[in-house]
Amino acid sequence: MDIISTRNLTKFYGKTRGVEDLSLSVPAGIVYGFLGPNGSGKTTTIRCLLGMLRPTAGEATVLGRRVTLDGSHVRRRIGYVAGEVRLYERETGRWHLDYVAGFRGGRGVLTDELLERFAFDPSKRVKELSKGNKQKLALILGMAHDPELLILDEPTSGLDPLNQEAVYRVIEERIAAGRTVFLSSHILSEVERVCERVGIVRSGRLVAEENVRDLLGKRLRHVEVRFAEPTPPAFLADLPGVDSVTPLSAFVLVARAKGDVVDQVVKRVAERTVVDLTIQQAGLEEVFLEFYRDEGTAPEAATALSGNGDISRPATSAGGGDEGGERE
Amino acid sequence: MSWTLLRGTLHQRRASMFWFCLGLVFYAWLMTWFYPQIGGGQYAQLIESMPPELLALFGGTEVPFASLGGYFQTEYLGLMWLIIVSAAVVLFAGRAFAGEIAAGTMELVLAQPVSRVQVALTRTTVFVGYVLLLAAASFVPIQVFGPSYGIELGAGTFWTLFAFGSLYMLAVGGIAVLLSSIFRDAGRAGAVAAAFLLLLWIADLVSNVSEAARFFDPINLISYWQPGKIINGDPIAPEGWWIYAVVGVTSLAAAVVVFSRRDVA
Repeated sequence: MDIISTRNLTKFYGKTRGVEDLSLSVPAGIVYGFLGPNGSGKTTTIRCLLGMLRPTAGEATVLGRRVTLDGSHVRRRIGYVAGEVRLYERETGRWHLDYVAGFRGGRGVLTDELLERFAFDPSKRVKELSKGNKQKLALILGMAHDPELLILDEPTSGLDPLNQEAVYRVIEERIAAGRTVFLSSHILSEVERVCERVGIVRSGRLVAEENVRDLLGKRLRHVEVRFAEPTPPAFLADLPGVDSVTPLSAFVLVARAKGDVVDQVVKRVAERTVVDLTIQQAGLEEVFLEFYRDEGTAPEAATALSGNGDISRPATSAGGGDEGGERE
Repeated sequence: MSWTLLRGTLHQRRASMFWFCLGLVFYAWLMTWFYPQIGGGQYAQLIESMPPELLALFGGTEVPFASLGGYFQTEYLGLMWLIIVSAAVVLFAGRAFAGEIAAGTMELVLAQPVSRVQVALTRTTVFVGYVLLLAAASFVPIQVFGPSYGIELGAGTFWTLFAFGSLYMLAVGGIAVLLSSIFRDAGRAGAVAAAFLLLLWIADLVSNVSEAARFFDPINLISYWQPGKIINGDPIAPEGWWIYAVVGVTSLAAAVVVFSRRDVA
């Protein structure tokens, strides 16, 4: 059974597009990565799933029940960590823990464990907490009740690498315990690290939904060949699926191959004497950028990529920036 | 209704509620204490010699200043009380929905297993409780401290004042709660509510000094607020009760419906 399922989910804010015709399915027991730059519709989708927004069209089903604005029964089984953490500034972390416990009929079974693992002091007021510590509190509030479905919207934002790793480990443990995680992120390395399946959203639309392994495996490869004799780029350039060939020297060519074309490339290469051959899968970053190349936004997105693959600002058309830049 | 949300709301609003109530208690006691000094004699004659426009500003045209009701209407319940309780209920109402949506904390609430209707009903219940608390802070001190300064309000007068004052706040606050359920921003909801009240007050002021402007009185919430008459035992317009009750209950019910159906993020 799919834990989350949407069919033609559409949300417009007036004329501004949040998400359009989004159909996806999240099976049980996996980490599903929902990937896209800022403004692409990730948060809008999540808010529709939680019943905070009323879809303009289409429908969503979560944990076997159709989502409605009054879906309190479903939310009992969901843990949610918002992308932009907003808490009651004057209250302490412990007050927040008790507040959420009051709604959920008792203290979360994982509360103490998470407090310890994140080294979080709940006695301080929220306004005294750093961004990272607020994020930790939000994570504890969302995960403490060991929900069947965990919806995380950019959960590691503001966390240092050690705490990021702690989050990844908690996610992996929840999966091992049979839970499901829906992880929205623009940090590609994060998705590559923890997700089994990924949906890529562009301009409010789902442009790909695949297993991460398959996506990485078949989409894009770099083939580097050292020939025994000088070889011009044209030797590989005419192959279908090869979109660029870069000569590193007269003897070395690097071809960028898209799709399932490895067999053809290898057969062509074998027509000459080969000294060395390396076939390397492209990283998720490059695969991701490929989805945006068609709209001519890849260079912008590439500019926005930081060292850890963080797509940290909206790509204008990809993110609906012309229409929905402020609405993710 | 959610008890957790009710406790949480009271906890978060405790400071604002405390200070408004304390201010009202102090003001009511102060006016009670001043009554023997300024509530009669030459000072009363001086006040009554003032232009009716000026007296109208303080709601003092309907009843003579020299009477107990006239004194309290002019010095306390006619203008200052209106300003204080209007500010209290508008601020409270603004944060009930719009303020939490703008602050983003509504997302934390609605991520929990609590329905929109529960949230709206709980916030409305807390609001009604706050109105009753404000009414108690406004009128109980007069009843408690009054005998020491020669002021005797009968039980019937006190309860009429309490009930009518509560209904007034319910009507005005109900509109503010409804606006809060519509807007995304507490400031805007509060500003619209305040502008609306100001408009009503100006209309009342004009109608007090101009017969030609009285056409608006039948639907003006402020025109029905005549605490001086209640204190003096004079009859007040019976439709005032109905208008306050209908506006208050309808606005609050509409707020529950609107909040249950709107986007909250």
